[in-house]
Amino acid sequence: MTTTNSTPPLTPAVLHILLALSSGERHGYGIMKQVETDSQGKVAMGPGTLYGSLKRMLDAGLVKESDKRVDPEMDDERRIYYQITGVGAQALAAELERYQRIVTIAQQRKLYPKTFAYVV
Amino acid sequence: MLYEQDAVRTLYKKLLSFYPRSFQEQLGESMEQTFQDLWNEKRQTKKGLFGFVLWTFIETAMGIFREHLLLISLGDIMQATLKTLGSSALINFLLILPFMMMEVVNRRNFNEDFPILLFFGMWINLFAISLILLPIVRGRRTGNHDMANPVPAQENTLLTNPKSAAMISVVLILAPGILPLLDSLGWEPLERLLNGPNPEQLYVFGVRVPSQFIALLLISLPVAAGIIAGRPIVSTLRAGGSLFVHPINLIIVVFILSTFAIGLANLIIDQWPCFIGVPNCD
Repeated sequence: MTTTNSTPPLTPAVLHILLALSSGERHGYGIMKQVETDSQGKVAMGPGTLYGSLKRMLDAGLVKESDKRVDPEMDDERRIYYQITGVGAQALAAELERYQRIVTIAQQRKLYPKTFAYVV
Repeated sequence: MLYEQDAVRTLYKKLLSFYPRSFQEQLGESMEQTFQDLWNEKRQTKKGLFGFVLWTFIETAMGIFREHLLLISLGDIMQATLKTLGSSALINFLLILPFMMMEVVNRRNFNEDFPILLFFGMWINLFAISLILLPIVRGRRTGNHDMANPVPAQENTLLTNPKSAAMISVVLILAPGILPLLDSLGWEPLERLLNGPNPEQLYVFGVRVPSQFIALLLISLPVAAGIIAGRPIVSTLRAGGSLFVHPINLIIVVFILSTFAIGLANLIIDQWPCFIGVPNCD
């Protein structure tokens, strides 16, 4: 996968949604649950934030609507699924690379993981 | 329980109808479904149902507010309305039309001419403001409205450029102030309209004109502060962030907006008796 340095940084909400969709198509509730799992319960995204971000991501072509279908693990209601696009995957990769660089810098400056020792 | 669920779902659907139309059409159904899924999950655990409903409604209401704010700050409405000089002129006329109607109603018991010059002056002022705003709105079209860092767009935006924000706020405040100023200078039609007999020139130039300028500049300062304080909030919202990322800025903006709203409401309440035709009102 190629990444671009020109991709601007993503907001935490957008990053979490892209991360959740990177492992497969999901509906709104599925995205929420995945975000909760990925963040070990530390990020609780409400419908307002989720769909506000999804709207801008759809407009920017980072995600797209998939077909409407029934989730076999839930009831028989048909739900709209969302999937990550090529552009979205690139943006996610670029963002993760950026995080990686920050962690590397922090390690070089001996800030991480030693920082936690100072707390004690 | 089923009745309760239906009632809450209906209420949530009503709440979703407050989203901008395009948003509602694109994502309304999904949001409703997601709310239903969250409700079912909470119902199964049988705890914190009230807290969940309260939190979801507040969070969604904030989302609605954010979407409307974004719609306005992205200039969609302004771009449409200020597209041409002709529409600007028309819109400005429509803006002063209620005041003209109020004037007609207020003067129905007096034998005086309709103050056409006053309203022409008001219209010219508003038109001048829209002419100032027009290039800024056009400039915004080249901006970057990504959900990511909106920095490249900042140079072109009214709300992200402190200099233009300050300039616009001063113009916005000073422009309507031109009329009382002309009145102070003894411009006869306005003089007759607003003050009756001509006041002494020394008093006018020595006290009224400077004090009016100082007062107008003092009012323009909080407006500029409000616009400048609103910059990071707009940038964060445009980037898909939370409304509460800049709490101090939010407090400043809310404070300034409520102060102006209260002032406007007081003015309307104060003038309402005149509007409804109470005799000897002032």
